[in-house]
Amino acid sequence: MADHEMVGKIGRVTGNIKPGALGEVMVPVRGGTEAFNAYAAEGEDVIPTGTRVVVVEYYPPRTVVVTKM
Amino acid sequence: MELGVIALVVLGIVVVLVLVFKSMWRVAEPNEALIISGLHQEKPVEGDGGTSGMLGFKIVTGKGTLVLPGVQTVRRLSLDLREADLAIDCVTHQGIPLGIRGVVIYKVGDDFASIANAARRFLDQQDKMDQRVHNVFSGHLRAIVGNMTVEEMIRDREKLTSLTRSSSGSEMEKLGLIVDSLQVQEIDDPTGYITNLGRPHAAAIERDARIAQANAEQSATEAEQSAEANKALARRDSSIKQAGFQAEIDRASATARQAGPLSEAAAKQEVVVQETKVAELEGQREEQRLQVSVRKPADAKAYEQTTLAKADRDARVSAAEAQAQEVELQAGANAQRVKLEAGAEADRVKLAAGAEAEHVRVEAGARAEAVRAIGDAEAASTLARGTATAEAARAKAMAEAAGIEARAKALAENQDAVIGQQLAENWPAIVEAAAKPFGNIDQMIVLNGAQGLSEALAQALSQGVAGLQLARSILSGPNGKNGDAGSSTNNQSAQLPPPDQEG
Repeated sequence: MADHEMVGKIGRVTGNIKPGALGEVMVPVRGGTEAFNAYAAEGEDVIPTGTRVVVVEYYPPRTVVVTKM
Repeated sequence: MELGVIALVVLGIVVVLVLVFKSMWRVAEPNEALIISGLHQEKPVEGDGGTSGMLGFKIVTGKGTLVLPGVQTVRRLSLDLREADLAIDCVTHQGIPLGIRGVVIYKVGDDFASIANAARRFLDQQDKMDQRVHNVFSGHLRAIVGNMTVEEMIRDREKLTSLTRSSSGSEMEKLGLIVDSLQVQEIDDPTGYITNLGRPHAAAIERDARIAQANAEQSATEAEQSAEANKALARRDSSIKQAGFQAEIDRASATARQAGPLSEAAAKQEVVVQETKVAELEGQREEQRLQVSVRKPADAKAYEQTTLAKADRDARVSAAEAQAQEVELQAGANAQRVKLEAGAEADRVKLAAGAEAEHVRVEAGARAEAVRAIGDAEAASTLARGTATAEAARAKAMAEAAGIEARAKALAENQDAVIGQQLAENWPAIVEAAAKPFGNIDQMIVLNGAQGLSEALAQALSQGVAGLQLARSILSGPNGKNGDAGSSTNNQSAQLPPPDQEG
């Protein structure tokens, strides 16, 4: 998987993901770690801070959709 | 020579080539992106390692690239961290006005999309990026604060960042920027909300602190006072013991001090005793000496004198006794003689007196007989005379009493007659008394002539009548007798009224 490919990467939640609120995940990309705005793949999910997630969708430039591992 | 020239030319060519390459080769530093536009930069390449196509320009990050001068231009876009200061007045969810000073830290995103967005917007205005972000973010911050309460702003950092993402994320994406952090540096609180928020806790903490301090001080003071009391107790005990010991020391030292004078006094006493004994002995010696030197001679002398005196006395006594005997004998003789003479005289006198007394006694008896006889005779005569007088008096009194009784009876029957009789008896004296004033008159002149004379007479008569009545009243007082109304007898010796009289 290329370094700049987002989908499939494993990240860590740094801002609570819950309905109605934009969460934040840190994803290693391009040799560093970058913060992305995150939504949950299942709309009703609440993903607390610190949970490891997998990026399932990537909306450039800074938005991803994640799901709990 | 030629070889050297050739070498120099080659060297020059190499140098020129290096310089040309150097002028065409651009390297992107780690914190910047090269934006290359111009010839052949529109290939749709998602190049690995940092180039992307289909943008009308090429973005190079983290590596070098060859740029053809004249047909391509290179711009550098900084990817450094930037910050924008924020200072806004806003209102919280509860309507409380706050002044907030904060800072937002952002950078251009590292992905090509963000770099492209940012490059399109800020490539020539990188200096003004802070101003732009400030303007954009002021509005976002106001919205963020409007969705929070003061307590949440202070405590709920998670919510702050979450709200920051939700409200500003999409907008910052448009600008190709990433907000790394939003920090609220200072909250200006004109209503004192925050201060008041903490006040109950502060008061509670202060209360607890004061209570704790007071308890601690109390405990400390109690401990101190207890310690002081114990110290005082110990001091007292120590003082008592010290005083006891001191008393013993004083006693001992006093005893010791007195031991010297005491022994000295004892020694002195002993000395005095011995001296006394010496003095006694001396006295005895003196006495003995005096006994020998004075008393014995004196005794002897006294004895001598006494003996002499006794002898003298005896002699004189003997002489006196002799004389006394002589005198006594003489006196006895004299007395005998006198006594004999006196006895003779007495006998003589006695005999004479007896004769005289006999004579007198006989004479007195005779005279007494005579006197007694005379007295008897006189007494008899006197008794007879007294009896006769008494009889006469009693008879006279009886007669007077009878007379008075008779007169009383008569008076009771006719007072006026009795009074008249008595007046008649006394009349001459009365008239004489009344006429006595006229006796001194030589000449009598009556100024009113005959009439005056008759008036004077009438007055005199009337006065005479008045005198009669007076007399009657006087007389009727003691005896009940009443003067007769003999005024009708015209008496010439009527008193004259004084005013008509002229001497």
